[in-house]
Amino acid sequence: MILEMKNISKRFDKLHVLKDISFGVDSGEVVSIIGPSGSGKSTLLRCATFLETIDGGEIIYMGKKAAHTDADGNAVYVSPKEMREFRTYCGLVFQQFNLFPHYSILKNLTDAPIHVQHRSREEAEMTAMELLGKMGIADKAKAYPFQLSGGQQQRVAIARALAMKPEILFFDEPTSALDPELTGEVLKVIRQLAEEKMTMVVVTHEMPFAKAVSNRVLFMDGGVVVEQGSPEEVFDNPKEERTKQFLRVFER
Amino acid sequence: MSLSTMISTMSVGMLRTCGIFALTLLGALPLGMLVALLRKSRYAVVRGVTRGYISIIRGTPLMLQLLVWYFGPYYLFRIPIRGWRFPALILGFVLNYAAYFAEIYRSGIESIPVGQYEAAEVLGYTKTQTFMRIILPQVIKRITPTVTNEVITLVKDTSLAFTLAYQEVFSLSKQISASQTSFTPFVIAGVFYFVANYLVEFVMLRIEKALDYYK
Ligand SMILES: Nc1ncnc2c1ncn2[C@@H]1O[C@H](COP(=O)(O)OP(=O)(O)O)[C@@H](O)[C@H]1O
Ligand SMILES: [Mg+2]
Repeated sequence: MILEMKNISKRFDKLHVLKDISFGVDSGEVVSIIGPSGSGKSTLLRCATFLETIDGGEIIYMGKKAAHTDADGNAVYVSPKEMREFRTYCGLVFQQFNLFPHYSILKNLTDAPIHVQHRSREEAEMTAMELLGKMGIADKAKAYPFQLSGGQQQRVAIARALAMKPEILFFDEPTSALDPELTGEVLKVIRQLAEEKMTMVVVTHEMPFAKAVSNRVLFMDGGVVVEQGSPEEVFDNPKEERTKQFLRVFER
Repeated sequence: MSLSTMISTMSVGMLRTCGIFALTLLGALPLGMLVALLRKSRYAVVRGVTRGYISIIRGTPLMLQLLVWYFGPYYLFRIPIRGWRFPALILGFVLNYAAYFAEIYRSGIESIPVGQYEAAEVLGYTKTQTFMRIILPQVIKRITPTVTNEVITLVKDTSLAFTLAYQEVFSLSKQISASQTSFTPFVIAGVFYFVANYLVEFVMLRIEKALDYYK
């Protein structure tokens, strides 16, 4: 297992956003998370990538505990120093790309490898150019983010995350900020990564894509995983009434 | 007194004005950043004290502040103030401008989208790296036009040094004008301030242009 999230609980003040969520991701697996807006999908990804702290439960990467619940029921994280290692395991692609506007595309991809991971500039640049080639935007290496289309920016963001060589990559609605005609190019590179057996967790509203690319689908609503299974099980034969209701909206 | 004698007499004052200007920027630009960061400290006491400082500085005239820094040590502690004129002047200017710069920095820092911090955090940058590599460069670009305004104000504010009878270009022009019953020293001073600000604008525009490579 690359990642295990066990009995995850998360509150924002009184709002209980994640209620006892458990799931695991195996190496090479692609897990899609679907569900209505406000169901806690982003919060779950943000907890998994340590942007938010959990209030209860366990986060285990590569068999090592990053967080667990102590005897008093409080979530305890490992020391900040150990945390650094856990951060290297995971990457996150945001809905809004969040590229660094003052860095060229190439520098967006090499700055963290060089200054966080202390890899050599030559190696970091070689990796970056390889990734940009894979994303079909090698000619943009010297450009700045504002000169790129949304679809290209998101592909840069994916490349930037991959440049850190994470064990697992999370996507939070990677195409939701894009014009419809640009979603295809981003979904294509994610599909390509899936074929290369990159371990990924994708929050998405692109149902045909989720169905085609995932090994497993989680349907979340109201802070719980209502249903999970193979794409065929969840999309074609949903057991829960809430899942059926949600999917009906997407059939037109 | 001939025009050239006037100019050469006043040039000492011009140098002193430039001195106040340069030392104030040198002290206030970095100190302002420190104040801006203290203003956002996680400790409420630090935040409170910093806010109080900014609020007092902005709420009282610079002229009065200069007088307080100059005469304060004597009236409060009976410390003789010989040789204290110039240090008091620079202290007053630096502490005053640091407060204004701090507020400019703060607004700049707060205008950076939270997504930039989050992207940096996920990539494993430390807090210091995030600030120095990701946030600060973007802040500098955003605040440059506002800083230009403040720097131009500073050029003119240096004339407040006359309060402490420091003989910079403005004090000198008043003196020479009175002793020579001539209007010319004021014209010379006016041209000097204008040219100085023209240079400031020129330099700041170059900086803005240099930062124009991204949006
Ligand atoms: N930082 C936050 N502070 C308070 N409430 C939040 C915060 N982030 C998210 N929420 C709330 O948590 C719930 C789940 O949000 P989110 O995880 O973004 O859902 P989703 O991604 O499925 O749309 C929503 O009700 C949202 O308003
Ligand atoms: Mg969301």
